[in-house]
Amino acid sequence: MLLLVWTPKAWHRLSPLKPPALLWTPGGEALHVRYRLMSRQGPGEASRQSQPQGPGFRTRLLITALFGAGLGGAWLAARAEKEQRRQQQRTEALRQAAVGQGDFSLLDHRGQARCKADFRGHWVLMYFGFTHCPDICPDELEKLVQVVQKLEAEPGLPPVQPIFITVDPERDTVAAMARYVQDFHPRLLGLTGSAEQVAQVSRSYRVYYSAGPKDDDQDYIVDHSIAIYLLSPDGLFTDYYGRAKSAQQIADSVRCHMAAFRSVLR
Amino acid sequence: MAAPSMKERQACWGARDEYWKCLDENTEDASQCKKLRSSFESSCPQQWIKYFDKRRDYLKFKEKFEAGQFQPSKTPAKS
Repeated sequence: MLLLVWTPKAWHRLSPLKPPALLWTPGGEALHVRYRLMSRQGPGEASRQSQPQGPGFRTRLLITALFGAGLGGAWLAARAEKEQRRQQQRTEALRQAAVGQGDFSLLDHRGQARCKADFRGHWVLMYFGFTHCPDICPDELEKLVQVVQKLEAEPGLPPVQPIFITVDPERDTVAAMARYVQDFHPRLLGLTGSAEQVAQVSRSYRVYYSAGPKDDDQDYIVDHSIAIYLLSPDGLFTDYYGRAKSAQQIADSVRCHMAAFRSVLR
Repeated sequence: MAAPSMKERQACWGARDEYWKCLDENTEDASQCKKLRSSFESSCPQQWIKYFDKRRDYLKFKEKFEAGQFQPSKTPAKS
C-alpha cells in the first residue's frame, strides 16, 4: 500500500524526464534509481524539491550525442557494406563481360585464326576501316601508329597491340590486308573474315558500316563509323577516340588508363 | 582491282592537293586548271575522285557557313 502511495509521487517527479526513454539509455537507469531514492526520502526532505528536476542539460546533451554517434556509426557501417557489395557485383559483371562480350573469330593477315582471348594481357588499340579507303583510314591508322610509337618510346609501359579490322570483307582478303598493313607498322595486325564474322565483330563493337554503290570499275566506298577503340588487358572496352583527338591526346589517355588499371580476371 | 599502295595513295593526294591549290587561286574556276584535273584523274581511282570532289564541295560550304554567309530565315519554316 505504501509503495502505491509513493509510486505516484515518484512518477510525478520523474514525469518531466520521460522515464521510459530515460531507461533505454545507459545512464538513464542510474538516474531513475537515483530519483527514486530521493523521492523515498520525500516528505522529510521537502527542501529537496527546490533541486533541479531532471538530469542537467549537459548530461542530456551527452546522452543524446552518444546515442546519435551510435546511430551514425551504424549508418556508416551499413553504407560501407553496401558499397563493398556493389563493388563486388560490378567486378563480377565485368569479369563475365571480359569473357563473353566483344569476342570475335577472324583471320589475321598471315592467315592465322584469331579470337579476342589471344590478346588477353595486352592493351589493344583497334580501328575499323577498309583498304580501298581514300583518306580517312590511312590518316587514322597513321595516328594510331604514332600513338603506339609514342608509348613504345616510354620505358616501363607495356606494349600496345594495334589492330586493323576490315569492314569490307568482300575485297579485303588476307593477302590484301597483308599488303595494306605493312605500310604502317610492323606490329599492326590486320583482321578479316567472312561477311558474317565481320558483321558479328562490328555488332560487338557497335561499328556502323555500309558499302556504297559500285561504279564502272566495280569500285565502291564503304561508309563507316570512325573511332579508335582501346581494350584493356582483360579484353574489356575501355575508351574510344574520334577524329578530333590528336595522337598526343590519345597517348596521354592510354597512359592514364594503364596507370589506373586493375585486372578483374584471375 | 587491288587497293592503292601507300605510294599510289600519296601520289593521288599530291595530285589532288595541286588541283585544289589551283582552284583556290582561280576562285573555283575549273577551266583554268584542266591540266591538273587530268593529272588528278589519272592518279586516283574513279571512286576517290568522286569522293574528293564531294569533299571539296563540303569544305567550301563549311567555309561559307562559318563565315556567316547563310542567314537563318526569319519566319519559322513549316515542313
